[in-house]
Amino acid sequence: MSISRIAIPLIAAAIAAPAAQLQIPIEKYRLSNGMRVILSRDSAAPVVTVYVIYDVGARVEQKGRTGFAHLFEHMMFQGSKNAPKGMHFQLIEANGGWLNGSTHADYTDYFEVMPSSKLALALWLEADRMRGLNITKENLENQKEAVKEERRLRMDNQPYVTAIVDRWPALAFRNWSNAHSLMGSYEDLNAATVDDVAQFFKTYYAPNNAVLVIAGDFEPATAKKLIATYFGDIPPQPQPKPPDLTEPPVQAPRSETVTDRLAKVPALIAGFHGPVRRSHDYYALVLLDVLLTGGDSSRISQNLIKGKQSIVQVEANLGWPFGGPSDYKQPGVYALMALHKPSFKGAEIAAQIQEEIAKVQRDGVEPRELERVKTQLRSSRIHEMQSSYRRAALLGQYEIFDGDPSWINTELDRYQQITAKDIQAVAERYLRPEVRITMEIVPPSQESQK
Amino acid sequence: MKLAASLALVAVAFAQEVDRTKPPDTPAAPSFRMPPLSEHTLANGLRVVTVRDSRLPLVTLRLGFQAGAKFDPADQIGLSETVAALLKEGTSRRSARQIAEQMAEIGGSIEAVSGPDSITVNASALSEHAAALLDLIADIAQNPAFPEEELKLRKQNRVQELLAQRADASTLAEEKFHAVLFGPHPYARMLPTAATLERITREALAQFHRRFLVPNNAVLLLVGDLPPEAKLYAWIQSYFGKWAKGNPPPSIPGKFPAPKRSLILVDRPGSVQADIRIGKVSVDRKNPDYFPLVVANSILGGGASSRLFSSFREQKGYAYDVHSTQSARRVGGLFEVVTQVRNEVLPQAIEDLLAEMRKISSQPVAKQELSNVKNYLAGAFVIRLETQSGLADQLAMVKLMDLPGDYLETYVTRVRSVEPDGVLKVAKKYIHPDDAAIVVVGDAAKIAPALERLGKLTIEKTP
Repeated sequence: MSISRIAIPLIAAAIAAPAAQLQIPIEKYRLSNGMRVILSRDSAAPVVTVYVIYDVGARVEQKGRTGFAHLFEHMMFQGSKNAPKGMHFQLIEANGGWLNGSTHADYTDYFEVMPSSKLALALWLEADRMRGLNITKENLENQKEAVKEERRLRMDNQPYVTAIVDRWPALAFRNWSNAHSLMGSYEDLNAATVDDVAQFFKTYYAPNNAVLVIAGDFEPATAKKLIATYFGDIPPQPQPKPPDLTEPPVQAPRSETVTDRLAKVPALIAGFHGPVRRSHDYYALVLLDVLLTGGDSSRISQNLIKGKQSIVQVEANLGWPFGGPSDYKQPGVYALMALHKPSFKGAEIAAQIQEEIAKVQRDGVEPRELERVKTQLRSSRIHEMQSSYRRAALLGQYEIFDGDPSWINTELDRYQQITAKDIQAVAERYLRPEVRITMEIVPPSQESQK
Repeated sequence: MKLAASLALVAVAFAQEVDRTKPPDTPAAPSFRMPPLSEHTLANGLRVVTVRDSRLPLVTLRLGFQAGAKFDPADQIGLSETVAALLKEGTSRRSARQIAEQMAEIGGSIEAVSGPDSITVNASALSEHAAALLDLIADIAQNPAFPEEELKLRKQNRVQELLAQRADASTLAEEKFHAVLFGPHPYARMLPTAATLERITREALAQFHRRFLVPNNAVLLLVGDLPPEAKLYAWIQSYFGKWAKGNPPPSIPGKFPAPKRSLILVDRPGSVQADIRIGKVSVDRKNPDYFPLVVANSILGGGASSRLFSSFREQKGYAYDVHSTQSARRVGGLFEVVTQVRNEVLPQAIEDLLAEMRKISSQPVAKQELSNVKNYLAGAFVIRLETQSGLADQLAMVKLMDLPGDYLETYVTRVRSVEPDGVLKVAKKYIHPDDAAIVVVGDAAKIAPALERLGKLTIEKTP
């Protein structure tokens, strides 16, 4: 990765700070079966990441099959034509790599991070499972149990998470495709059949619905040959129809209180439907989020964690709770989740957060504060570029969502163009109390005090 | 033209040779070379280590001290973490707000963490602001004010955080497991309580700071896009050179209770899973048993191809997460097997865990399995060093634990030199379950009867 430094005039004319510009190398092409390939070479460390992203997520699920996209993702590790069950884990780890897969609302991804000489192995494994899976009843039943344990571990046995994953989408959205639980119910998981798995695979796991990214230390000519050999003749399938995710606008405030038997500290979530991805408002709202919640200097941190001393911890994101701005896709929400002292009521916390937003709506943003949040954002994006895995994931996500991986290099310019007025405008346009979605999560002991 | 033609030939030959039914043969992983380090010691004893990495305009800093929770007085558990947390909450030169704003202005982040054996200030910034970063870090390390108001707020918020943390079954399991294994040693104390926090005063913070946060007890690490050496050391000298030496106390010896079988259930009503820990006190990185144990741990529960994962998750469907860890302290360490299973399969799951622990302690590992695990560890080690923070964390660990200078350089070689009888020998000592402690967190009403069949059960309430 090479870096050039150029001077960009900042809004305060007297200052001209050098702004780092990113130059992640990108080569993109398409195989005849429709699979898109993105190569990004950087030989600084002897590590290479192979990342495959499929244009399918939990929002394509049908009624009666909640949680299926995730269950299917588990099946991708259960063996393929030439790599029997267990071989995938074994081959990657025995060759010094690590791997994972994850299911999101709008995409599913799989990756291997390997010593650079092991590129061919990772490509072979990804191609073998794109070509065909070993779908057996035994493997499916086994993975249903693993997924159910995952649900118990990460949701049912944890404070807050069940409310966030099962209830929050239903409060935030009205279109079932957006509103259902991504983790799914036990009933729906149990109902999944081997035929469902085969059909899902055929529909969504075709090369023309996938992007392959290689980032890190590799020889491009060799990589292209390997890709052609392993992936070139996997047959394409008809392009799947994207689900209808149309979401009616929020007409009135929505709120819900959930009693959480495992919670000991009350939490408040305040959310608002967000803008179209990559619109001017999107960039302005991401910067507004940094201003409100980005680190110790943020407004919420200074005025509510300190100041009013009401909030204990806060997290927020465009795309919350399932992602961040880089994998946000509308319809999505900008939401803040605050753990707060029990001496404050949830409604008071909501009012305090809304008052911080109102200050931006009323008084706008000082130039120095705007410059600070832009610097914070720029720095955090540059930090992300250090690992080949993060570069590969971002490149794949930009391709799947925007059809253009070069956003990885140019996106910071968009943020740079945002003005104080733009931030004030998105606060007014999106973060209005009339369209706020509010959820309180309360411990049983505090329920009676409400 | 000639070149293009020969390349085309190669491509054809390649495509014909490939047998797609078998995994391709690949060359061995490239050998790892540490980037060059530059090391100096200032007159006041501050050790400084710098590594150049100009891929991105970033600089990553670690300022580590031999301090940490093991030095907390028994009635003031949480002292070390409170010192760490308040470092950035105001100095004699800057208010907490100024520190927060200046860090943000340089694209920086800062967090001071207290571990069992250390306090480390972790920070980073855009490299164009490296001097400002050093200035800020020098200030918070040398001149913290520990304002009364900030201490009060920290205590209030920490009490709420602790409530939230202890709502989590795995925190409860770890806390009890540490207490059981380490007994009277301060490593037993994982988290403070409201009562021990309440006793912490400004004076105690200042005193802890004066004793431990001194240059001759510290190491400063800088990794990133750094200015030329002369300029960098001029900055370091000007910001850290006047810091007065101190008399840091010696470390605490590692005297731990002898391993013995105990079976403890922490009652968490409403739990839908049983959270299990099985293990013993183990070894630090200087112990000759360390590398064989790292390998043994990896065979048993190190990754997705480990014995526990293959059996527990992939064959039996008992658990989503099952793994083992060997975590070294400055003196001694902790080996544990970790899993969470649904209540119905608990008795069988524990039997099976014990059987796997017995197996690795009684049967030599096969050559292929051993070589796979060595590759896995070697690869994971190199992948960890891909980022500045990954490298900085490893270097800080080496310096703070007083490990040999070539520790990272020789890590892979030492992993590769482990033999099957070495694995067997350390497994007998640190993994064999007959004298291992078992801690389970779960709903006693549902799982106590099943656990009682395994031996004498002690049931405790959640704190």
